[in-house]
Amino acid sequence: MNPITPFRVRIKFAKSENLRFIGHLDLQRLFERALNRTGLPLRYTQGFSPKIRINIASALPLGFISRAEVLDFWLNAPVDLIEICGKLQSALPKDLHILDIQEIPNKAPSLQASVLLSEYIITFPDTYAQDDVNASLFDIYEQETIQVERRGKMVDIKPMIKMLKVFIEDNSTKLRLQMDSSATHNGRPDELIKLLDIDPADVIIERVNLIFEE
Amino acid sequence: MTLIDKKVLDKFLYHVEKPGRYVGGEHNMVLKDWHAVDTRLVLAFPDIYDLGQANLGLSILYELVNDRPNLLAERVFSPWHDMENALREHDIPLFSLESKTPIKDFDILGITLPYESIYTNVLNLLDLSGIPLRSEQRDSRHPLVIAGGQACFNPEPMADFIDAFAIGDGEEVIFEIIQAYQEWKSKNLDKKALLRSLALIRGVYVPSLYEVKYFDDGRIKKVFPKVDGTPKTVLKRISPTLPAPIKKQIVPNVQIVHDRIAVEIMRGCTRGCRFCHAGIVNRPVRQRNPEEILEAIELGVKATGYEDLSLLSLSSSDHTKILDITKAVYEQNKDRRLSVSLPSLRIESFSVDLMDELKELRPGGGFTIAPEAATDRMRAVINKPLPDEILFETVETIFNHGWLNLKMYYMIGLPGERMEDVEAILETARKVQQMGKRLRGNRVRVHVSIGTFIPKPHTPFQWANSEDPESVQKKIDFLREGMRQSKIKLSYNRPDSTLLEAWLSRGDRRLGKVIERAWQNGAKFDAWDEGFQKDYWYKAFEEADIKPDFYINRFRDINENFPWDHISTGVSKDFLLEEYEMSQRGETRLDCRKGCHVCGILDCFSDIRPNQENTYWGCP
Repeated sequence: MNPITPFRVRIKFAKSENLRFIGHLDLQRLFERALNRTGLPLRYTQGFSPKIRINIASALPLGFISRAEVLDFWLNAPVDLIEICGKLQSALPKDLHILDIQEIPNKAPSLQASVLLSEYIITFPDTYAQDDVNASLFDIYEQETIQVERRGKMVDIKPMIKMLKVFIEDNSTKLRLQMDSSATHNGRPDELIKLLDIDPADVIIERVNLIFEE
Repeated sequence: MTLIDKKVLDKFLYHVEKPGRYVGGEHNMVLKDWHAVDTRLVLAFPDIYDLGQANLGLSILYELVNDRPNLLAERVFSPWHDMENALREHDIPLFSLESKTPIKDFDILGITLPYESIYTNVLNLLDLSGIPLRSEQRDSRHPLVIAGGQACFNPEPMADFIDAFAIGDGEEVIFEIIQAYQEWKSKNLDKKALLRSLALIRGVYVPSLYEVKYFDDGRIKKVFPKVDGTPKTVLKRISPTLPAPIKKQIVPNVQIVHDRIAVEIMRGCTRGCRFCHAGIVNRPVRQRNPEEILEAIELGVKATGYEDLSLLSLSSSDHTKILDITKAVYEQNKDRRLSVSLPSLRIESFSVDLMDELKELRPGGGFTIAPEAATDRMRAVINKPLPDEILFETVETIFNHGWLNLKMYYMIGLPGERMEDVEAILETARKVQQMGKRLRGNRVRVHVSIGTFIPKPHTPFQWANSEDPESVQKKIDFLREGMRQSKIKLSYNRPDSTLLEAWLSRGDRRLGKVIERAWQNGAKFDAWDEGFQKDYWYKAFEEADIKPDFYINRFRDINENFPWDHISTGVSKDFLLEEYEMSQRGETRLDCRKGCHVCGILDCFSDIRPNQENTYWGCP
């Protein structure tokens, strides 16, 4: 039993380079071990086989990079946030970078329950001109439904798309895209990319923002 | 040095299964400046990352080499089929995890050969690296290809492909090899000069400097060095005291087997089981003192963040201070969440006490014992005596102390085995299950695991035959039916999957051709159940005009010259023969801690035996 009120910490972190090829479950394990190495007074889950209590807002698909991942963990006692940040950052591999840290009221709703949308920026290879991408996306979005196959079933992803905007930055064609990211409606930008007849491996998909319920 | 194009790499990593296997970047990985060191090694384990990264030998050498400022060691593993296809399709050479440098750009490629069924993967790894397969095809532009590990005690089947083998413990000899390499490089000589200088290092075997003559019937007439000064017999190296435990074990980002801290508490075993290769080749017993073990645990937990730990040895119960160790490990870790496993326990109630000492630290799950044979007669043959009373008393204690799952290891196909010996395995399992149910009720689960005996070089059974797969299959069928009726879980290997290990274990250098043909036919990942295709191999034997039965199924005279006779483990052939003859008479031999049987180890190594009490050797 843990009689004291837990100290809940929320970090925002970037996932880049090599770490983009580490999946969600592996990332969870990686954080457990990294937290363990910090020596912080970690709080564990209750039950028969307690685990370090961690909550990641939204699974980032393999191959994507991100500057907006959010994770909560709990401590048994309050610790200075700057100290936590320093200890955790030095325990993490270099391709995981802490961007922000804050204390969260213990009663605050869970991350997974409150995440609504993800915002991505997709960078196309040089061969793709802004107008072509724009036109192709327009053609797709004009249709009544946008059907993609998920585990043998057809799913309409059109209602999951909340924003589409093609622009040029650093001489590259880019797409800013907002999609549902909730437990029940989870949009996958790579599905949209495939509809453009582009191999998702040829673009860089970066999650730049996670939008939560207020 | 040419780095792999990251853009191209990222593109196909996106499409392969578990790409985390190929990217490195783990906690405790060492990435050094390529240009700031003199010599660059790449350590290879020729199976996938998920298996290879768990190898303790590789981790030890990785840390030892990287601890030296003028050296660097990186890692490479076999790519899985999808990754291999991607590499071949894009014409990308195999590269290291750390700096993504092509393997062919390293100075030295050090390959771990822990077992024989990995050999085709070695060829595949060389081929994917763009390195010629055969030693004779390589020159000073190619990396020096060396190998070490337990399978190297019979290096002959791989003689065509490996430039030099390090026989025995690698912790010291690796630096002597590197030094010879550096001296050679500074002189700008040809590859032959390097090989000759390597052959002068104790424990290093350079197969190309030896010639083999055969009798007409295929047996070996003699093996002799072709070059003056090359030793007639290569004696293995040992580390007189165990190397310091690993300080910074790599923590994989993707899940691997044995995903935990490994602390070696003892090397070697004094039991003298006659089938056991590890028991002979790792003599003498060297144990780590409790203080160092506790320090290693403390460092390991802090450096890795793991919550699982395994204390490794061939026979944990035989550590002279094992009770102190388990007590101290409990005291040290009772306030943290650390699960500690203590494998390879002797069958006696004391083992249960040891596990009890770990209290809540011990992992959930079952208790494992390895009686190996079920009749007194058979147990005398293999020199693992165990009265049934002791077995059942131990099992009773295990159940009484709260365990519900019991796993028992047995072997079939042992020399002189009769059907009654196999029947006794079933009877014992049934009695154990009944006892469990009587003591603990219906939740008790008994699991029997059956291994097929393979005669190994350097063991007393090196003269013995392998049982043919059909006859092994009959025994398995009998056990399967009996265990099914009693609802006892049974696991076993497909009898034909052990064929390959049997051929290669006692093979000679003529098998090089067979291994190469088998690989060309498509053989790889032979250690995997779904990987081993015996047709590739039968075809390869045919193409090489070699009869596979020669290696597994024929009478071996006590005077026969074996392909590995010029490699010495320190244990004499006379001693092994004496043991073989005792086994045929059903005579056992006591644990050699109780009295020296003059196996030969002390004759070879007493001059380097440490005399401090702390660095204990098992020899009397």
